[in-house]
Amino acid sequence: MTEDIIKIENMVKVYANGEIQVKALKSINLTIQKGEFVSIMGSSGSGKSTLMNILGCLDRPTEGHYYLEGIDVREKSDNELSAVRNKKIGFVFQSFNLISRTSALKNVELPMVYGRIDADERHERALELLRRVNLENRADHMPNELSGGQRQRVAIARALANQPQIILADEPTGNLDSESSVEIMDIFTIFTKLNRENGNTVIIVTHERDIAEFTDRIITFRDGQILTDERLRTKEVIPC
Amino acid sequence: MLIFENILLALTAIRSNKMRSFLTMLGIIIGISSVIAITSIGASAKGVVGKEFESYGMNNMYLYVNWAMTPDGVDYEDLFTPEDIEALAARYPDDIQYIAPSISSSSKTKIGRTEGKLNMTGVAADYNKYKNMKMLHGRMINKSDVDGQKDRIVIDKKAALYFFNNENPVGKTLGVVINEEMKDLTIVGVYEIEASIFDGMRASDSYSTYVPYPILEYSDPATSYLELYTNEKKNQNDLGTEFSQYLSRIKGKDPQFYTFESAESQMGTINNILGTLSIAIGAIAAISLVVGGIGIMNIMLVSVTERTREIGIRKSLGARTSDILMQFLIESMIISAIGGIIGTGLGVGIAAIGMSFAHISVVIQPSVILLAVGFSAIVGVFFGLYPARKAAKLDPIEALRYE
Repeated sequence: MTEDIIKIENMVKVYANGEIQVKALKSINLTIQKGEFVSIMGSSGSGKSTLMNILGCLDRPTEGHYYLEGIDVREKSDNELSAVRNKKIGFVFQSFNLISRTSALKNVELPMVYGRIDADERHERALELLRRVNLENRADHMPNELSGGQRQRVAIARALANQPQIILADEPTGNLDSESSVEIMDIFTIFTKLNRENGNTVIIVTHERDIAEFTDRIITFRDGQILTDERLRTKEVIPC
Repeated sequence: MLIFENILLALTAIRSNKMRSFLTMLGIIIGISSVIAITSIGASAKGVVGKEFESYGMNNMYLYVNWAMTPDGVDYEDLFTPEDIEALAARYPDDIQYIAPSISSSSKTKIGRTEGKLNMTGVAADYNKYKNMKMLHGRMINKSDVDGQKDRIVIDKKAALYFFNNENPVGKTLGVVINEEMKDLTIVGVYEIEASIFDGMRASDSYSTYVPYPILEYSDPATSYLELYTNEKKNQNDLGTEFSQYLSRIKGKDPQFYTFESAESQMGTINNILGTLSIAIGAIAAISLVVGGIGIMNIMLVSVTERTREIGIRKSLGARTSDILMQFLIESMIISAIGGIIGTGLGVGIAAIGMSFAHISVVIQPSVILLAVGFSAIVGVFFGLYPARKAAKLDPIEALRYE
């Protein structure tokens, strides 16, 4: 029995920039099941980032519905959306988006601060998460003392802080040098592990085909519409 | 509310921008320190004035003709006669402890080669019981001196030092001129009075002395001023009004014909002036607090812009609008509270240094400190609110895109 964790119906997103209206998404229908490992591809301006923002509850659709775990996001208040971002979704950004002047450990603790988890538990969990991404010995380092790959691993640890079901990664390896392929591989190993072993639903936005091919399903966008939706491999979804 | 986390965050932010934080606080520091310094100086001055009047006795009072009622000058029969004084004392035996005509005179005197000037105040018996003075040698003018109109004098410690080189002068005589008549006054006592801040203001070069009041009177004993010491348990204003109205009545005058001046009312007047001054200067200082608050608002707005991306990150990780609002609000409150605390310390310091030059012990009012620090925190909230709201309302997507 599979569960539609994300269901999008006739979704339209229009950006009104003064007089000009830009239709970033034109009536999208999409279903992602719990435990899927999906990549969203498309050139810039194809609407993939807009979709990411809506999936991550940072933005609301202009028309249509987005059901997250069966609940229409539209009906949620701002504070409820904050709670959804905090508890259900883990963000990984292209530019890491760690808070400078704050140690790796404190960065990982941050979602737990907003989740009102007490300091001792926060600290312990953050250390455990850093251990999972092999950075326990970098806990007290500031972001600018870490390499790109290390920073992204801190960001992944942070995304996992409140044990969200969905991981949204926007070009997670986009800011890593292509020479540091070891670091890129490290990151993908983590995502794969999260999907295969932890049962997380992982959605990665990328514009590189070879990166997308790590995942099980590739959805390609063009001009605000879904162009193709290919399943590379089917796997047994492990319920968690 | 995440208050603890936000306080830590604020302290980190303040520490990482030390110079900027200090400059931001400066307005508050200047404002608070001037408010504290001025009110402390005002309170200290009030304390000194109070002490000064206490040394005279708070129940000291003068009765006199209300000059405003007599535009054509005082007639002879309007003056107080010994009979009037007796009548008044007999009418209020419990409320009048001391009553005598207030007369004084001055004269040059010479002991050997030492020449000096004496200011002689006429008193009745036992004046030292009411005025705060200490007898060092001998005694004060007594009843027999007054009744017998004896040529006696009690001199100040300074006069004793000047004329007699600090040896006990009791029994010695001083030659003076009273009402154009030469008199040799026998010294019966030496007194000491606590140093007063008004000593410096009295530019007079003469020494204070006391003599029996009848020897200063002309052939005719009528007088225009009466000095009293009254029942200190009663309201001095009520007593003064009653006395002056009684005198008006027995002398067949309008009720307002005679008036009074009590130490208490004089002190009230001086305290009023000091209080008004403190408020006026305090208001100016408060304006500098508002200016300080605008400084905080300005820097908080810069800070919000600088940290736009950070705000976006926090929001994407689940920070609510209210979480961000609190973060920036607490930061501006802490900046102004630290400014308030430094300002309080500085203000107390300034007041203490200023007062030490005047040899006055400084009076610090805890209520003023609470008020000032509380006010600075309010300034922090008020001027921090707009930037904090601006931060809290940022759109997370735009904030994340901000470079």
